[in-house]
Amino acid sequence: MKLRKALLFWYSLLGLIVFLTVFSTIFSPYSPNEMNMDEIYSAPSSDHWLGTDHLGRDVFSRLLEGGKVTLVVASGSVILSLFIGIVYGGISGYFGGVIDTVMMRLLEALITIPALIIILVFQVIVQGGMWSMALLIGLTGWLVTARIVRSEFIRLKEEEFIKMANMLGTPVWNILWGHLLRNSIPAIFVVTLFNFAGAIFMEVSLSFLGIGIPPTIPSWGNMLYYAQNDILIGAWWIGLFPGIMIFLTILAINFIGEAWKNPERRRVND
Amino acid sequence: MIGKWIGKRMVMGLIVLLIVSFLSFFIMQAAPGDPATAFYGGNAQTLTATEKERITRAYALDRPVAEQYVAWLGETVKGNLGISYKEGRPVFEIIRERLPNTLLLFGVTMFCIVLGSFWLGTVAGMKANSIWDKGLSTFSIATSSIPPFWLGILFIYIFAVSLGILPSSGSGDVGGNGGMVDKIRHLMMPASVIIVTHVGIYARFLQESIKRENGQYYVKVARANGVMERSIRNGIVRNASIPYLNYIAMTIPSFFGGSIIVESLFAWSGIGQLTVKAVVTKDFPLLMGSIMVTGILVVITLFIVDLIMYAIDPKLRKGGIR
Repeated sequence: MKLRKALLFWYSLLGLIVFLTVFSTIFSPYSPNEMNMDEIYSAPSSDHWLGTDHLGRDVFSRLLEGGKVTLVVASGSVILSLFIGIVYGGISGYFGGVIDTVMMRLLEALITIPALIIILVFQVIVQGGMWSMALLIGLTGWLVTARIVRSEFIRLKEEEFIKMANMLGTPVWNILWGHLLRNSIPAIFVVTLFNFAGAIFMEVSLSFLGIGIPPTIPSWGNMLYYAQNDILIGAWWIGLFPGIMIFLTILAINFIGEAWKNPERRRVND
Repeated sequence: MIGKWIGKRMVMGLIVLLIVSFLSFFIMQAAPGDPATAFYGGNAQTLTATEKERITRAYALDRPVAEQYVAWLGETVKGNLGISYKEGRPVFEIIRERLPNTLLLFGVTMFCIVLGSFWLGTVAGMKANSIWDKGLSTFSIATSSIPPFWLGILFIYIFAVSLGILPSSGSGDVGGNGGMVDKIRHLMMPASVIIVTHVGIYARFLQESIKRENGQYYVKVARANGVMERSIRNGIVRNASIPYLNYIAMTIPSFFGGSIIVESLFAWSGIGQLTVKAVVTKDFPLLMGSIMVTGILVVITLFIVDLIMYAIDPKLRKGGIR
């Protein structure tokens, strides 16, 4: 009972964050890029709920707009890595044998290289915008998904209903799509949730280093990039709030993911 | 037996390094200008025609890409990593200066994390349904959700700006005025940020692993036969630490990734900060070098973890599945 209530809380918190950021244009009192040189570094007040930054921009408005950017980049990358992961893991798990061995050895090697390093390499050569960021995070984030899909496929392949389907001459495509993939959905969902949290971490980290999303676009990471210097002169509000938003978002995702990992906790209402 | 096993792990490590080297070579190819310029940077203009000729021959620049790669790899293995654009010094030298700092940070944090998570995980795992047990699950999810660099920013604000008791950046110098104390003072914030954000999640993994072992039949039998609780506990912890070590091995790459960010936040002059600096200033030879070194560090660390696992797990020694 208590667990379900807690879970409901995390669902609503995540929902609220997504809702506020998606409709950021309605809720933000100022334009996120509107500068006001008379009001730089003003502390939180009734005019500016969360204060202003070094260019006099409203932190609250930027927080909502930045959240949209961060979440869109994370979503885009997760969709991409989900797709690659399913295809790679699916091929490896379905065919098995030498193909599986080779593909898994390659995956093991790739998993050993810090994703951040790979992204840094590509960022230095083609520093792009939001979408190239999503592309890069997606291209490096599919490894765990592929591993899960493969192990699910291998497990399911031995089940009787799959053997039966094979015997009855069900088309391969149908087996892959209707039986193997559909039965792997719960496991894929959990790993994708954690992947989403990981993608947010990655975008935020890169933008924080100043090599992620271009500084002209507000994102939670970019806001923290400037906060590094602002904090030294005592402007704590610029760094505090984006961090809290990142923390709460990832916290909510992690708690939801943990609940989904244990099937008995999964149901919210009954 | 052990020879065969080590050989297998080494081949895997070499494959990883090969992929990293492709990545590094790709930077050289993709960098603007011809590869000789990419490799010697600002110094390229001062090269005489004969020297250019020599470079071209050494790196097989007039040959197909595959041969260029082999030539470049040969030079890299010999320790010739080129000259940094910005500093005008050999990359190898710069990395050698930075490496001890990274190893220090990594060693201290990893040691504390393993120690802390072992203690927390064992206590929480052995006392099922206690406050420790439930508390640790929540604690680990909460701490692992904190972005480390954000915690670092908060720490800087609290300890450096407000209280003024710890330096906000730099890595200290043992040979300087402060001596060893100065180094430790500089180390405290970056290390504690990494430890706080990681210790919970590792502890939790051990806790769950211990709980699983605790419910096994062999433990029940041992208890029923009146085996001392202490030796039961030792046995459980030993068996539970194998998946735990495996988990550490799996997270080592992202651990190195995370320390890159923490290093650059605190201007801790290690390899991580060097990598970021190389990206920001587009210092290609330096970037290539630091990527190679990070790759080597990861592979060596994984190899050490593998060796420890081999020592603990009799299944591996007897040539079991892995």
